[in-house]
Amino acid sequence: MSDKQKHIRNFSIIAHIDHGKSTLADRILEYTRTVSTREMEEQLLDNMDLERERGITIKARAVRLDYTAPDGEEYVLNLIDTPGHVDFNYEVSRSLNACDGALLVVDATQGIEAQTLANAYLAVDANLEIVPVINKIDLPSADVDRVRNEIEDVIGIVAEGCPAVSAKTGLNIGDVLDKIISDIPAPTGDPTAPLKCLIFDSYYDSYLGVVVYVRVMDGTLRAGERIRLMSNGAEFDVVEVGSMEPFGLQKRDSLSAGEVGYITASIKYVGDTRVGDTVTHAENGAAEPLPGFKAVQPMVYAGIYPADGARYGDLRDALEKLQLNDAALVFEPETSVALGFGFRCGFLGLLHMEIIEERLEREFNLDLITTAPGVIYKITMRGGEVRMIENPASYPSPDEIEEAAEPVVRASIITPTDYVGGIMELCQDKRGTFIDMKYIDTTRAELHYILPLNEIIYDFFDALKSRSRGYASLDYEFSEYVASKLVRLDFMLNGEQVDALSFIVHEEKAYPRARRIAEKLKENIPRQLFEVPIQAAIGNRIIARETVKAMRKDVLAKCYGGDITRKKKLLEKQKEGKKKMRRLGSVEVSPEAFMAVLRLDDDN
Amino acid sequence: MEKEKLGIYVHIPFCKSKCGYCDFCSHVPAKGEIDRYLNALMLHIQDFSGAAANYIVDTVYIGGGTPTLLDKKQMKLLTECIRTSFKLEKDAEFTVEANPGTVDKGYLRALLGMGINRISFGLQSASDRELRALGRIHTRDEFAESFKAARAAGFCNINVDLMYGIPYQSAESFAETLAFVKALDPEHVSVYGLKIEEGTRFYRERESLPLPDEETEYKMYRKAHSFLEAAGYKHYEISNFARPGFASRHNLRYWLDEKYLGFGVAAHSYFKNQRYAYVSDMEAYMLEMEHPQNMSAILSECSDIDVFTKETEYVMLRMRLFDGVLLHEYRNTFGKDFAKKYGEKLRRYVDGGFVKLDGVRCAFTVKGMYVSNYILSDILDF
Repeated sequence: MSDKQKHIRNFSIIAHIDHGKSTLADRILEYTRTVSTREMEEQLLDNMDLERERGITIKARAVRLDYTAPDGEEYVLNLIDTPGHVDFNYEVSRSLNACDGALLVVDATQGIEAQTLANAYLAVDANLEIVPVINKIDLPSADVDRVRNEIEDVIGIVAEGCPAVSAKTGLNIGDVLDKIISDIPAPTGDPTAPLKCLIFDSYYDSYLGVVVYVRVMDGTLRAGERIRLMSNGAEFDVVEVGSMEPFGLQKRDSLSAGEVGYITASIKYVGDTRVGDTVTHAENGAAEPLPGFKAVQPMVYAGIYPADGARYGDLRDALEKLQLNDAALVFEPETSVALGFGFRCGFLGLLHMEIIEERLEREFNLDLITTAPGVIYKITMRGGEVRMIENPASYPSPDEIEEAAEPVVRASIITPTDYVGGIMELCQDKRGTFIDMKYIDTTRAELHYILPLNEIIYDFFDALKSRSRGYASLDYEFSEYVASKLVRLDFMLNGEQVDALSFIVHEEKAYPRARRIAEKLKENIPRQLFEVPIQAAIGNRIIARETVKAMRKDVLAKCYGGDITRKKKLLEKQKEGKKKMRRLGSVEVSPEAFMAVLRLDDDN
Repeated sequence: MEKEKLGIYVHIPFCKSKCGYCDFCSHVPAKGEIDRYLNALMLHIQDFSGAAANYIVDTVYIGGGTPTLLDKKQMKLLTECIRTSFKLEKDAEFTVEANPGTVDKGYLRALLGMGINRISFGLQSASDRELRALGRIHTRDEFAESFKAARAAGFCNINVDLMYGIPYQSAESFAETLAFVKALDPEHVSVYGLKIEEGTRFYRERESLPLPDEETEYKMYRKAHSFLEAAGYKHYEISNFARPGFASRHNLRYWLDEKYLGFGVAAHSYFKNQRYAYVSDMEAYMLEMEHPQNMSAILSECSDIDVFTKETEYVMLRMRLFDGVLLHEYRNTFGKDFAKKYGEKLRRYVDGGFVKLDGVRCAFTVKGMYVSNYILSDILDF
């Protein structure tokens, strides 16, 4: 180990959502005086507005801190931030692989939650030294001893003497720094060996092209050298290498084994620089890539349409811009009779989908209509052909299907024991298969279930929160495809099928869901001149029906004293409302009505 | 050269009490307020004498509010002011709205003497329970008395206003009201559907009002049509029925794109290709008339009617009439073919039996008239 490596610490912070990860990162930045309190915007690491507002980290970020320890030794600390949500599990695991240790932040009032565990396991898998940090000790209900015991009992790591801090007030942050230096191992790796850099993040910059964040595992990289991405063989000439300082990129001569930094090489697409891929030299490169790379696949699909059909082009531009920085987002054009032109988009999960929706609406000022999210079904046809179906419209007719399979996940739920009954009922109702239950302590339990992903994305999370008064936490990972009795549920208005409302559902769930959606349609479809029958159907079988009554009075009887203007204004206003309507055959439906029907919040 | 015709509307914004559904400009007058308002009104009317010099007035309509809150002397001043300021056609239609129970034979005879030849009674319902619920101050019997007094005084053109869709009303009670009115044999009947407007007492109480359901309400609308048509009244406009020759000429002028000048608070005018209205603020209106400074300051709205707007308005207004748009007249006025412009958009309404479109005219059917806003807002461009 070189002397340089001895003075480097590469670490990340992992935590359940809201346990204070970002706040702790801020305090560490402050403490190392890299950033003065005054200059600092709250939670510097999260630089998207949305992240700040939601208090979650969407994409990994990294920052280099220069720290002089109490003994006078100077260290370089590379803090690598990780996304804190199950949708981004793979990205988390890659980020962790770029580190040598992790701070595991646990809320002193809440203790271990589902994502605490999930993240801790990922860190163990990555062979990281885990340093527990108990946070929020300033709160009156903090119980440091209990949480310390929990960490030892449940995760099985030593928590004695671990820092107990308040990231909010800055109390005991020095202890955390001491632990980083003393407990987290310095990086190893041979600066003279063939180059191996692990990509853990990348983003598009309009001046620099794609900026790739890497951890150098072996070898040394300099500007001007030619590199190769080992997963796809693409080659580039390095323009610049450097480090990520709190206020921007800092050019450096080289990056060598153990260091964390960035590379620019006039790369145009973030899609070329997949997280987890290995960067090596084009000549005399490494023989084998670093282990663990996989191309991320979308798990959840939905149709996204502009509420105003004229903005289709804007939506495409916006999606293309977002994709520049988000290789996990996929989309292709789709046409719906009901909604016009739009895109079928693939996401890592529900949160990812919500984030994309919000960014489209906020940053690009678009009003969207999003169809019900669905998963990818694996359909074996009579002839033996296997089709992956992510769009209900292309779901084959039942008599062509030999076997239908749906993705299931392994879900872990941590909940106060009081709510175990209700949650088991919920999982049962969502077609879950119970695996086991462990008691974390006398008050909390961890449940394991196999659950169909399409039930999770329907409304599981909200239902879980409401049945546990917000206390239960959920983590899940894809498990496998299993055979299932699936049907496509269609809806018809005035006898005409509305493609945008179709979705695939388990046979048992079809009836209640059909009834609920038919009711919602009835509530939300404005009355027409004609009576409008609403029907829900599986194939040719009608399983639910409702009727929107014909509109009755729509007339201004009195035009008092020649007040023509009033009548005209009334009609104008009505016309405005009508312009937004989508006409489905003879039925007019407002985008709001679609949204109301497609929203999955208040039912199950 | 024949002079162009003009209508005069005068607004009297006073009532003895405010009805629960009323969102018109009216209030209970303070002591002396009527005289002051009347004075302002007459200054206003006189002021327009010059502008209207080249017109001949063929309809005058004094509406409210309750114009008959003016006593004989006040009414005389007002009507004389109108007569001296404008040239009235010899047989001009001259209407005054009257509240049943507030007018006796002597008063009515005096009105007739002032040249008022048409009286419009706001009966609304022949059920006392429904009248009370509306907040009307008269009863069925008081109305009958007033009506007979008007006949006895010599009025041979009387209108009766009715309403459907009001609290406590049923299909039966409405039919009974219609029969009651028919027996009195007025020349003209107006039948308005109650619309609950924001800012009224009914609006605040809308959740608890015992209103007939919409099916019943629609039945009443159909009943008014079939009953009154059978009784010899022509349903000539959305809410208006008349014996042959007794359609309200003043009301028609609103739909036939003819000019009118309005006087008083909240009064609307259509004159020289402009539509404008005065504010409903009494004090602002009266001050401006007493000490003229800037007339435009008391306008609540004013818009120029360009050719495009005129065409839209033409269709919107004519379609209120069961005669509808006459295709040859439309072509003569705008140089365009109506069917070419609107035929495609109208097709589904024609197919649905809401609109009739033949070689001569385009008009709503009785069923279509009831949802005319929906259809007009769809086919017209604004």
